[in-house]
Amino acid sequence: MAALQLLVNGVALGAAYALVALGFVLVLNATSAVNFAQGDLVMAGGLLAVAAAPLIPLPGIVLLPVVLVLMAALGLLLALAAYLPLRRRPPVSVFISTIAVGIILQNGAAILFGPEPRAAPPLFGDDTLHIAGLAVPEQSLAIVAVAGLLIGAQQWVFARTQLGRRLRATAQDPEMARACGVPVTAMILVTFAIGAACAGAAGLLLANRYFVTPTSGGDLILKAYIAVTVGGWGSVPGAVVGALLIALFEVGVSSVLSYPAALGALYLTLLAILVLRPQGLFGEAVRRRG
Amino acid sequence: MRRTLSLLIGLLAASSCLSSAARADDTLSFPVLVPLTGFLSLEGTSQRNGAVLALKQTPAGIAIASEVVDTGTSPEAAVTALERAAGRGTVGAVAASMLGTQMLAMLPLAGELKLPLVTVSGTASITEQGNPWVFRFFPGDAVTKAAHARYVVEELGKRQPAVIYQTTAYGQSGKAHLDAAFKALGVTPVFEEGVDPAAKDLLPVLTKALAAKPDVLVLHLHSAPTALLLRQAASSGVTLPIVAGSAMHQPSTAALLEPAELKGVCAETAASPISGGTPEVKAFTDAYRAAFGKEPDAFALGQYDGMTMVLEAVKAGARSPDAIRKALSAETFQGLAMTYKSDGKGNMAHSAVIVCYDGASRVPVLAKRYDDPTLAAK
Repeated sequence: MAALQLLVNGVALGAAYALVALGFVLVLNATSAVNFAQGDLVMAGGLLAVAAAPLIPLPGIVLLPVVLVLMAALGLLLALAAYLPLRRRPPVSVFISTIAVGIILQNGAAILFGPEPRAAPPLFGDDTLHIAGLAVPEQSLAIVAVAGLLIGAQQWVFARTQLGRRLRATAQDPEMARACGVPVTAMILVTFAIGAACAGAAGLLLANRYFVTPTSGGDLILKAYIAVTVGGWGSVPGAVVGALLIALFEVGVSSVLSYPAALGALYLTLLAILVLRPQGLFGEAVRRRG
Repeated sequence: MRRTLSLLIGLLAASSCLSSAARADDTLSFPVLVPLTGFLSLEGTSQRNGAVLALKQTPAGIAIASEVVDTGTSPEAAVTALERAAGRGTVGAVAASMLGTQMLAMLPLAGELKLPLVTVSGTASITEQGNPWVFRFFPGDAVTKAAHARYVVEELGKRQPAVIYQTTAYGQSGKAHLDAAFKALGVTPVFEEGVDPAAKDLLPVLTKALAAKPDVLVLHLHSAPTALLLRQAASSGVTLPIVAGSAMHQPSTAALLEPAELKGVCAETAASPISGGTPEVKAFTDAYRAAFGKEPDAFALGQYDGMTMVLEAVKAGARSPDAIRKALSAETFQGLAMTYKSDGKGNMAHSAVIVCYDGASRVPVLAKRYDDPTLAAK
């Protein structure tokens, strides 16, 4: 019974991590740049939900669209300020500029909200359901459902719509896409907006059960990075699987070993994947011509 | 235009010189160098607020200056802040970071500059360096963890504790002192495990702890992990008594939980100003709320008491850092949280309290006071 309980918690946590990793990998694909502010965008989404809750005293599910829109706008700002002016510079310039944005977000949040941990409202309710001896928080089920819906919706947009095709074309080969008439800069802006919206959704989902502080984004970017590396650099399904794997170690393995040992095992697994399958679980092998 | 500008610059320079001269004559400076950003910002902000409130209430007739500097979390930033502060006027004493690594970095410089550092850091080693310039106005782990263990064993009558602690320096130190205190009481924990502060789900460690059949859960975690574990324990229907570390007493931790989730939870701390007490403590709490719009905690009160003792020394005639150091070393001070007296190493605080929540309110009530619990345990 305890194993089932842990499974529910692990899947809920993995679903939220998947949204973080998804936003990270979308920007990575569209720009070939690592957005180190992704973790702090998650924190910003969580605190945005905390700030909006007294203004809209309704369940978190009503706040979710508001957070998505505001975070998308923040993503646009991030692209305009930290990516577009540096897009023709070496990739390290964008690394540094997104790190700077992350620090600005952290310190801005500390000034605006103070350092106290805070909780966002639950998506539907804060009760615990007791099903066949299992105590399942409603929020855990809601996290899985909402994250699944958002990931599914995003996959549908990318696979079935003209916007999605343009976004994928931009991610695969920006020069060719531009030559074919795709407005590449606009597509990059949209990608940043979607990436930040994903981060915002993850922030709202995580901030109820796990709380949010101005510094809580720091470890999330590391998890997103690991998820994308494990899943395959640039692979969207890989990022989701990588995120679920991290949650499996954090919740499942740590219930058998200790938490520090589970983290050690996660990094050993990462190392093994890098040695045995450097392209990641879902990545395509790249070979140099002789 | 150019002439006006020159005149303005000249006037500014002259007034700056005059101000410096005046400051050098009779104004003592009390810089507040604390971590306002980074992982210790919650506690650092309380520390700053306590120091600032004490300095705002400087006794009449004493001219002081003060500035607040964020030391972040790096030792280098703290040392730089101390160097810069020492270069500005006559420094009487410094409200110094509660982050142990920053204190350890600042101590040699404080010795060189001969400046008293007044802190609420809990790191035991800062008062074990043989440095006469450090004064700690918060009970160290040796005191608080002795009280923690004694309450569990002597008051609750529990002898099978499961200890869950943080893997940080704070957590390791607390765990080591809890082990020693339980050993002194003839008790061996049935379960001990550390968790990383970044752990999002604490159900795995809680499940393992419960599997060890404890009769009490003993926590030594930071603020958010404490709230997370209590919430998961409540939703899992755990009815064991829980005695948490000092992070639980912070009003911002209790604010994360429903009062019902706090039922049966106790915590050790140096003091709990929101729980009331003397009229002076109530006056402090009201003044703190009015000044900062927040609820005070033990860190704020400890730093407030420390800076108040410094100002009392100045009022009594101590007009140099060395005179202030001597006063802090020798005098006994009746603060709001407790009576402070140096043990010869700069440890000023020797009392701890246990507070408990009744399940109806987020304000805990005082359950037990321990004055020098380590001596009593011996």
